[in-house]
Amino acid sequence: MRRLRTPLGFAAVASLAFLLFMVVLGPIIWVGEAVRTDTMALNQGPSAEHLVGTDGLGRDVLARVMVASRLTVGLALLATAIAVGGGLVIGGLPAVLGRRAGRLISGFIGLVVAFPGLLIALVLAVVLGSGGTSAALAIGLASVPAFARLTQTLAASVAGRDFVAAARVLGVGRVRMLFRHILPNIGEPLIVQATLGAGGALLAFAALSFLGLGVQAPDYDWGLLLNEGLNRVYLNPAAALAPGAAVALAGLAFNVLGEFAAQVFGGRATAAPAAGRSARPAPGDALTVEDLRVAYGDAEPVKGVSFSLEPGERVGLVGESGSGKSLTALAVAGLIEPPGVVHGTISSGETAMVFQDPMTSLNPALRVGTQLAEVARVHGRLSRKAAWERAVTRLTDVHIAAAARVVRQYPHELSGGMRQRAMIAMGLMGSPRVIIADEPTTALDVTVQKQILDLLREVSDRSGAAILLISHDLAVVGQLCSRVLVMYAGVIVEDLTVERLRAGPAHPYTRALLASVPDMAADRSQPLATIPGRMPSPAERLPGCAFAPRCPLADSRCHASPPPLENGVRCWHPVAGESVTVAEKGSEG
Amino acid sequence: MAIQTSHPWAAYLGRRLMRFLLSLALLVTATFGMVHVIPGDPVRAALGVTASPELIAARTAELGLDLPIWEQYGRYVTGLFTGELGQSMVSGLPVAQTIADRLPYTALLALVAFAVVMVTAVPVGMALAAWTRGGRRRGLELVFTGVSGLLAVVPEFLLAVALIVVFAVTLELLPVADVTGAMGPEHYVLPALALAAGPAAALARIVRVEGLGVLSSDYLRTARAKRLPARLIHLRHALPNLLTGALTIGGLLISGLIAGSVLVENVFAWPGLGDALVEAIKAKDYPVVQGVVLIYGGAVLLVNLAVDVALGKLDPRSTIRED
Amino acid sequence: MTALEFHGVRVRLGRGRQAKEIVRGVDLEVPSGTVVGLVGESGCGKSTLARSAVGLVPLAAGHVVPGRRRAVQLVFQDPYSSLDPRMTVGAAITEALPRRRLFARPSARPPGAAAAEVARFLDLVGLEAAHAQRLPGHLSGGQRQRVALARALAARPEVVIADEITSALDVSVQGMVLNLVKDIQRELGLTLLFISHNLAVVRYVSDRVAVMSEGRVVEEGPVDEVMGSPRDPYTRTLLESVPRLR
Repeated sequence: MRRLRTPLGFAAVASLAFLLFMVVLGPIIWVGEAVRTDTMALNQGPSAEHLVGTDGLGRDVLARVMVASRLTVGLALLATAIAVGGGLVIGGLPAVLGRRAGRLISGFIGLVVAFPGLLIALVLAVVLGSGGTSAALAIGLASVPAFARLTQTLAASVAGRDFVAAARVLGVGRVRMLFRHILPNIGEPLIVQATLGAGGALLAFAALSFLGLGVQAPDYDWGLLLNEGLNRVYLNPAAALAPGAAVALAGLAFNVLGEFAAQVFGGRATAAPAAGRSARPAPGDALTVEDLRVAYGDAEPVKGVSFSLEPGERVGLVGESGSGKSLTALAVAGLIEPPGVVHGTISSGETAMVFQDPMTSLNPALRVGTQLAEVARVHGRLSRKAAWERAVTRLTDVHIAAAARVVRQYPHELSGGMRQRAMIAMGLMGSPRVIIADEPTTALDVTVQKQILDLLREVSDRSGAAILLISHDLAVVGQLCSRVLVMYAGVIVEDLTVERLRAGPAHPYTRALLASVPDMAADRSQPLATIPGRMPSPAERLPGCAFAPRCPLADSRCHASPPPLENGVRCWHPVAGESVTVAEKGSEG
Repeated sequence: MAIQTSHPWAAYLGRRLMRFLLSLALLVTATFGMVHVIPGDPVRAALGVTASPELIAARTAELGLDLPIWEQYGRYVTGLFTGELGQSMVSGLPVAQTIADRLPYTALLALVAFAVVMVTAVPVGMALAAWTRGGRRRGLELVFTGVSGLLAVVPEFLLAVALIVVFAVTLELLPVADVTGAMGPEHYVLPALALAAGPAAALARIVRVEGLGVLSSDYLRTARAKRLPARLIHLRHALPNLLTGALTIGGLLISGLIAGSVLVENVFAWPGLGDALVEAIKAKDYPVVQGVVLIYGGAVLLVNLAVDVALGKLDPRSTIRED
Repeated sequence: MTALEFHGVRVRLGRGRQAKEIVRGVDLEVPSGTVVGLVGESGCGKSTLARSAVGLVPLAAGHVVPGRRRAVQLVFQDPYSSLDPRMTVGAAITEALPRRRLFARPSARPPGAAAAEVARFLDLVGLEAAHAQRLPGHLSGGQRQRVALARALAARPEVVIADEITSALDVSVQGMVLNLVKDIQRELGLTLLFISHNLAVVRYVSDRVAVMSEGRVVEEGPVDEVMGSPRDPYTRTLLESVPRLR
């Protein structure tokens, strides 16, 4: 019920009350007024007695508008019911029938849905004749294709998901599949669309009646009243505006209800407003980060991270999802967007970024050359020609054959590995002192991964740029880096060399992480180590060590006070340097 | 990964053309069938109960309604190829003549309205996306979504009535269509505004939402990581990626605009096709209804085809490869 | 004895000109009670092969034994998509339970029998019986993957195909699921085709391993043989590319 207290929730309740009032009480209260003719007051303008004037027979226009609401809304709902019912049946058929029949039906829906609903409704009105019910039928039928298409699209999107495939493997039949798995999962968007559709039907009905093809006198709905009003618009504009306003208000009310339904079902959370600015890198040789914090409202996913990189040094930043490693990288690059807030000091030389997914990180609409050259044009003030020449050179530097051709290509014409090479070349267009690579090989195959890691090493050797490699994979980090920072719950828990990582880390978390991943030398007869429990969420603030609840070595001190980072380890009980053994691996099953 | 060169484009074009022809066939058949599924005798319905049986028989023969249905269909289709759309049951004038007289007014009105939509909606939507990104300027966002939401919901014919009341009746600033048929540019202002406001608001909303998506994409993060000036980020990196979405919706909007013009023409007593269509429906003048519906439907199909071709040209990556 | 056999299997996806042969003639046997690992890079056809075994994609040529549905069950990569969000864990597993006699009255099965079966399968994958009432939305990724496994086992299949079942999980959760797979396999004598791009994971779980490349199986044999002294040049490249800490 909390949702009702939002402005939209309030508007939805008001809309519903408004519609119910008009439909239920409107005819009861005003019916006498609406039929009483007053020959002394024909075609009058607004007065105290008749708020929006009278019509050609001296009847009160406002009363007639009120009375007409039941017929108008009722017919709109009838039309919607026809549209939704027909749409569900026709749209659901392809899921139940076989492949070929389904394709035929969806093809036909595709053809019909291209025509505007109003045009179809007009044609149907010709066939069905004028009158309230036939107009409702015309509008309802005209919206069937759109609803069928919607049902079908939603059903197809659900049908493409793995749980439907799993049910098919279990031998679940088509009809049961439709009713048990597909319809329950598309019900909510359908209800939203039906509510919005009711608004649309109301407007379409008003349009049809307004044209004289809907409700016929002596019955009257808002559209017909609008038509009468418009004929006398120079005598009494209010008589045209009142039914128009009623149509607009009712249409709006259905829309508000639909929006509200969408919000309730979709669970669209309102983002917490916050302001803040990302730190910008300052010129300097090495990267230095001091007490870096990143906060989103109450949650603080990065809780005070400090480290520095020497020129040419290659450092890995390792952690599981939720450890804050990627946010640390983004903060270092100055790419945290509001509502995120960054605190702390970051000083670095020129930085270059390489992101995880090379498919989405390059602009699909621009040529590779444009995207490379603009860096040199904007920052290096090179001419267009010189910038493109440098782009070709840099692409050659990252071992892209036929670079002169590749600069003219679009990203989608390149393979994943080529795109990641182009991203690295883009970073080299300036003269970066630090290259931040955020999971640069996670989306790539293992053979391509090796090539990219080799390339990054070569680039850093040649240019003297430091590398900060963010990864969840200790082995990948070991391949490229000389030093490793291990992150857990927003802090660095261990800072150690790769040799030390191999020989045996001191922090229980690093040791557990190492033991839980099978490598090519793992003993297959022993179970893998597991870490019980879960990482605390960024909003949780534990008084002691964040790893203590999951740590086999934790005692009361660990739970009470946070350990400092000493000798590269943030732990009250660091393990003296022995390698991770099989026995330790078996400690948790 | 590698994409075959010219073939997919030709295949794509072929598929779209095939679909256009199929839709056209459906349209022709539907307009033909319309007259035949009307309950009762359409000729009697058109001429009224007072018409003599001889007159009805003569008119029925004249229209070929006494022939076998296949022959009628054949005559109808061949008639379309020669531009022969039959004659009005009421006035006896050739339908093609009526259409030729009225089409220019409707077409010009729709074009003006469409231009207004495009010129206002895309920049406004884009600017709003840039300004309200990441929950910034919540006040502005609220005002924009409120106003555009209202405009998108209020139908064109109500807006038309309101515009007439305010600008023509109360303020007497602008004219409503002239009975004498004299049409200056000032006559276009109100109808075009009524027709364009809703679609413009809807498109601006969609452009903003698409813009927010593009602005938070990985490749825009790359662009920001390159420390490019805001102008380059928005115009070079974001705008081209918005166009496909805007164009797709734009196509749908033109279809809606064409249909909406029927209503707006009626409000303004505009001497266009829409007015003719409604008059013909009321008078049960079926040949005119058939002809005008064919023109409207054909126009919608042509617009769809044009949008598909433009999309294929603009975004060969995703569009061509689907289905 | 073999529980799952692929004979000259070919699969084409797409229609008309855009059709592409994804699986190009695969012969592969999974002996009863063993784990066969299937490794290969993205796009090599390993997932399509798995889907062909359970009838989710049609075969262009060749055949799969057993051809019956339900005899082979598939566990999917993404546990967030493979469970119906509207179905409780218990309902999902019940749906998988074999209906013994199709024409018997519903009351033929004593009430509570299904619930007992569900509890048994939940216990098998290390979940409590109370989890049966939960919706997938209230479970963690690792727990969902356990439910998916329980559902596959509940159908009493002759073979289970696990398609990248740990790829969407964090490394510490991956360890838990791998331990579980090994335990269940040993306990039930399950026949398993274990598909992954991760060579170390496949090596840890499997008895035999098949290497797939461009729609074909290029090498197959006992794990130690294939990983220790690969004969095929592609297998060698693959093994050399694996990042190693030690």
